[in-house]
Amino acid sequence: MVREEIAVSTRTLQWKCVESRADSKRLYYGRFVLSPLMKGQADTIGIAMRRALLGEIEGTCITRAKSEKVPHEYSTIVGIEESVHEILMNLKEIVFRSHLYGTRGASICVRGPRYVTAQDIISPPSVKIVDTTQYIASLTEPIDLCIELQIERDRGYRIKTPNNYQDGSYPIDAVSMPVRNANHSIHSYGNGNEKQEILFLEIWTNGSFTPKEALYEASRNLIDLFLPFLHAEEQDINVEDNQNRATAPLFTFHDGLTNIGKRKKGIALKRVFIDQSELPTRTYNCLKRSNIHTLLDLLSNSQEDLMRIEHFRIEDVKQILGILQKRFAID
Amino acid sequence: MLRDGNEGMSTIPGSSQIQFEGFCKFIDQGLAEELHKFPKMEDTDQEMEFQLFVETYQLVEPLIKERDAVYESLTYSSELYVSAGLIWRAGRDMRKQTVFIGNIPLMNSLGTSLVNGIYRIVVNQILQSPGIYYRSELDHNGISVYTGTIISDWGGRSELEIDRKARIWARVSRKQKISILVPSSAMGSNLRDILDNVCYPEIFLSFPNDKEKKKIGSKENAVLEFYQQFACVGGDPVFSESLCKELQKKFFQQRCELGRIGRRNMNQRLNLDIPQNSTFLLPRDVLAAADHLIGMKFGMGTLDDLNHLKNKRIRSVADLLQDQFGLALVRLENVVRGTICGAIRHKLIPTPHNLVTSTPLTTTYESFFGLHPLSQVLDRTNPLTQIVHGRKWSYLGPGGLTGRTASFRIRDIHPSHYGRICPIDTSEGINVGLIGSLAIHARIGDWGSIESPFYEISERLKEEQMVYLSPRRDEYYMVAAGNSLALNRGIQEEQVVPARYRQEFLTIAWEQIHLRSIYPFQYFSIGASLIPFIEHNDANRALMSSNMQRQAVPLSHSEKCIVGTGLERQAALDSGGSAIAEHEGKITYTDTEKIVLSGNGDTISIPLVMYQRSNKNTCMHQKPQVHRGKCVKKGQILADGAAIIGGELALGKNILVAYMPWEGYNSEDAVLISERLVYGDIYTSFHIRKYEIQTHVTSQGPERITNEIPHLEAHLLRNLDKNGIVMLGSWVETGDILVGKLTPQTAKESSYAPEDRLLRAILGIQVSTAKETCLKLPIGGRGRVIDVRWIQKKRGSSSNPETIRVYISQKREIKVGDKVAGRHGNKGIISKILPRQDMPYLQDGTPVDMVFNPLGIPSRMNVGQMFECSIGLAGNLLNRHYRIIPFDERYEQEASRKLVFPELYKASKQTANPWVFEPEYPGKSRIFDGRTGDPFEQPVIIGKSYMMKLIHQVDDKIHGRSSGHYALVTQQPLRGRAKHGGQRVGEMEVWALEGFGVAHISQEMLTYKSDHIRARQEVLGTTIIGGTIPNPDGAPESFRLLVRELRSLALELNHFLVSEKSFQINRKEA
Repeated sequence: MVREEIAVSTRTLQWKCVESRADSKRLYYGRFVLSPLMKGQADTIGIAMRRALLGEIEGTCITRAKSEKVPHEYSTIVGIEESVHEILMNLKEIVFRSHLYGTRGASICVRGPRYVTAQDIISPPSVKIVDTTQYIASLTEPIDLCIELQIERDRGYRIKTPNNYQDGSYPIDAVSMPVRNANHSIHSYGNGNEKQEILFLEIWTNGSFTPKEALYEASRNLIDLFLPFLHAEEQDINVEDNQNRATAPLFTFHDGLTNIGKRKKGIALKRVFIDQSELPTRTYNCLKRSNIHTLLDLLSNSQEDLMRIEHFRIEDVKQILGILQKRFAID
Repeated sequence: MLRDGNEGMSTIPGSSQIQFEGFCKFIDQGLAEELHKFPKMEDTDQEMEFQLFVETYQLVEPLIKERDAVYESLTYSSELYVSAGLIWRAGRDMRKQTVFIGNIPLMNSLGTSLVNGIYRIVVNQILQSPGIYYRSELDHNGISVYTGTIISDWGGRSELEIDRKARIWARVSRKQKISILVPSSAMGSNLRDILDNVCYPEIFLSFPNDKEKKKIGSKENAVLEFYQQFACVGGDPVFSESLCKELQKKFFQQRCELGRIGRRNMNQRLNLDIPQNSTFLLPRDVLAAADHLIGMKFGMGTLDDLNHLKNKRIRSVADLLQDQFGLALVRLENVVRGTICGAIRHKLIPTPHNLVTSTPLTTTYESFFGLHPLSQVLDRTNPLTQIVHGRKWSYLGPGGLTGRTASFRIRDIHPSHYGRICPIDTSEGINVGLIGSLAIHARIGDWGSIESPFYEISERLKEEQMVYLSPRRDEYYMVAAGNSLALNRGIQEEQVVPARYRQEFLTIAWEQIHLRSIYPFQYFSIGASLIPFIEHNDANRALMSSNMQRQAVPLSHSEKCIVGTGLERQAALDSGGSAIAEHEGKITYTDTEKIVLSGNGDTISIPLVMYQRSNKNTCMHQKPQVHRGKCVKKGQILADGAAIIGGELALGKNILVAYMPWEGYNSEDAVLISERLVYGDIYTSFHIRKYEIQTHVTSQGPERITNEIPHLEAHLLRNLDKNGIVMLGSWVETGDILVGKLTPQTAKESSYAPEDRLLRAILGIQVSTAKETCLKLPIGGRGRVIDVRWIQKKRGSSSNPETIRVYISQKREIKVGDKVAGRHGNKGIISKILPRQDMPYLQDGTPVDMVFNPLGIPSRMNVGQMFECSIGLAGNLLNRHYRIIPFDERYEQEASRKLVFPELYKASKQTANPWVFEPEYPGKSRIFDGRTGDPFEQPVIIGKSYMMKLIHQVDDKIHGRSSGHYALVTQQPLRGRAKHGGQRVGEMEVWALEGFGVAHISQEMLTYKSDHIRARQEVLGTTIIGGTIPNPDGAPESFRLLVRELRSLALELNHFLVSEKSFQINRKEA
């Protein structure tokens, strides 16, 4: 379908990066143009892209930190200007660039006196630190600071309750949102019915992705979300065909029963127990065992359901039908 | 030029200055004054004489530091020593010793005293000043009656009254009135004296008939008559000394002691020249008062306004402490007297040391600080709360009013309050107008009056000078009201200025002005003067704001307000929350725990406050702001405290807000917020809770603290160390054991429930000899254990009560149900937290953080929030902070608007964001729905507002009950979350149930779930067996209680069954 649209329009749909700059290591800006679009399409794409950019992109960050000899988050270590909690808060802010799956370990091992920055994080090769100058702590005394970190890739944010981890590690409420802000605007041109639109997308990222990558990531996520629809269509058709074929005889059975129901409106089917229908003992026992007590219960089961009952044969079904027709005066 | 001007410039006085000056006055004058009253004492045989040598009293510097006293829950007090002498008459020799009189709790520079580890503050009390007040009232016939009310120093009242027939009565009780001649005769003056000393003797003379003349013939008769009338006794009492004494005690001491202030007021009002030291009401006073009353009747003289501040006096810390000291000395005197007598009787030779004990003084002060209604626990929610608390005044308390009986008029503001008492800041509810705040510049004068400063403008003096005026005096001046800044005070601004003169607002030519106010905020309290654009707010909302700012929780990362009034720095400084360099020097070491400053040849270590709990469970923490090697000046801020950033008060955060409805999620003051406020830790605060347990000695033996508690499963005990106390740094959840404690108990099989015994028998559990009385973490109390204190108080040898305190810190993000508020009385509850992509967004894509309902503004009339929000946006874009003095509208029309729009325009130009200022709808902008991307129908006001998170949080309030305790008498569920109580199904809830016709639920609420004991027990049984619950029969317990209460009034309410056959009456017990 998309292909057809493009064939109609004079030019093919294409995107372009209009503006791209890095305000700092942790603030990237990019502006993109998508054109030409038919009237209304820009809005469809724009809002979907904005929402995908803000909500769907995964990021990498530190989720857990562990250090020896720290009694709790609100304690202090002699020779460090920050309290443990402040260090954890600083670790939370650190931005990574990675394509890892699952969790990885990293560590900091420094000896003071000096400032500890993100540069001191010894990270696995798949993880790169975006801004090496990001401040973590400052050691004022010649002491060793060793922190083990756990890096995870995730989407959105997660607030963890620090359940009792006896190993002395502290969870960090990680925020993996690489896109700081996104915006879309629509510029329309042309006249009359031939109105066409240009979509502008503005993306600010935290350096973990460049805006271009973020755009790519977001559109891939969006496509991933839409994929089930493409597959689902075929499966649904198959299901329908099968049903038609398989349930053909059943319909008649059911119809017959519903006819009975309709004709004998006066009889409350619920009150009619199958005991009254003088079924053969074997059939009766089978029905009873599968919790069918009244006529209503019987009617609400399809032939297929009845066949599933243990020791139930197709002759029995015919017998039931016959009995029902006889007893309730059905043709 | 400016520097020269600054020298004469007034600065805002320290906010705890009033308290501190009061305490200093007590130490300097009050102590000596009371000690001088201590009499020389002699024993019965007049053999020896005991006396204090008052001049040599000394206070000793406390041995412990204030911080240690806080930690160990001690009183930070100083010991008072006085030399005492014991003189033997016979031998003429004297024994002189320095004796320890007792401990006096000291006040720190913030105006608080530390008693038993708790900071306490003494609130200033406002009382009716003693003296005489003339009023006129209409009696039931519509004729005006003049009364003169004499108010004593203790608050006792007696009235003089002149009626239609020009008879003068003295009203001593509510019902009884007696002729004026009776009390004055009883006071000792005879008729001749009376007639000689009054101006209108004929009125006095015309009054008594013969019978009454006889009554006042002699003093004895008069006293008798007076006593009869006063005490309302019939019969014929005989004059006696005891009767005289009783009258003295009951009437004269309570109603007639004027005190120094009363004497002064009396002299002023009645033009008398009685010396200052006669503090009792004299017959002359009564006669002069009666004279004045007659003058009133004839239309001479002016009536008094009881609510005028000149007729009020402040009873400050100084007075209260001095009263208590006097009381303690009287007690000491009795003790000494008793000991002397005892010593003589036992033929012992006493020394001053064994005569004087320290208990009277120490216990008096302990009970004063602990029990007196005006001594309150310092509220330390945030720094602002602390300083405002010290500047409170109250009409309540001993000798004052009560919240239920105080009239409407006394709660109202009065023209004399200008510059002294804040017209805005008062509590809401029953105490409205009875508890308030002093204005910023107010100070307490010598005679207990509140003084306000003014600039004096005079022709002679080129330089203007500041004068403090009492409310009595400033009415006679023309005071130009709030017309200019303090900076250009010498410059005449306009020809004609608005001014205050004799409680009226007039427009007066500049030449006639005597005084002018010094500061636009002069009229307001600290709380109210932190509100920007206060002039655009309704006073009621400003009141709420000043109260709510005190409830703001210090956040983990605070932020300075973009829009402020300029008082933030002063408030932060006065609160003492930040560490300040005491002298200039160089920082040699910084740490989270301390800052070491060296300079002037010495090195001082400044300890910092580390995650400390305040008494409102908020967290106090100081962060160092200086680095090692930096040189600092004296007074420079070394570390910011909680809710202080860069030395400025920072109670909240600047948040991008929009005023628009959003799917009904912000109707009725609800607030919609973005998820960013949660994950960005924007409104994250720390709360530290204290849990405490004590061990006692029972009759079975002492209680034990242990980690071996067989009653409980191991999971609950996982955090205990080998002593049975929770380990530092462990994470605890609701129900976990913090301290394991066992109380010894005699093993009695019968004390267990039957099923319990059965289980024990089956499982073979040994009957324990102890009951577990562990400290469990109550509901909602999860967190990290940050401190454990084990305090052993040494008191006697046999019992050593131990106290264990566990401190648990909680990190709380903002969540649905929390209360947030701005600084304009705009408050609301979080109703929904939306993902950032769903929030409405601005034209540059920025999602809004909070969405308020625009309907919350018109009816509340707090338009200041609009101005704040608009100029906040400009300030955010321009990276500027605004400090705006209020009442700029006096310079020109629409001045605030003219201030805000250019800034917005500038911001729009500089940042090239045309949507910031659009001339068609200035301040508003078109914004988009984050879910659809569609623009909203109307442009919406957006901006940056300063929002605070208040201490009312769901975590502290959310509560449900499935089972629990019942009240003993009514058998209804207890109330309150703390007692794990039930929610009351009140009248209106019952109507709701009735409205839906849900009879069974209604019955359930009234019986099984409430006070029908039998039905309640049957429910338990049937639910275990699994049957249908039987209908309750009989009346519930509270009805039975009602019936019994009626019976105690001799009213029988009951029902009877009458047999149809035999007509036998069968009485049923309700």
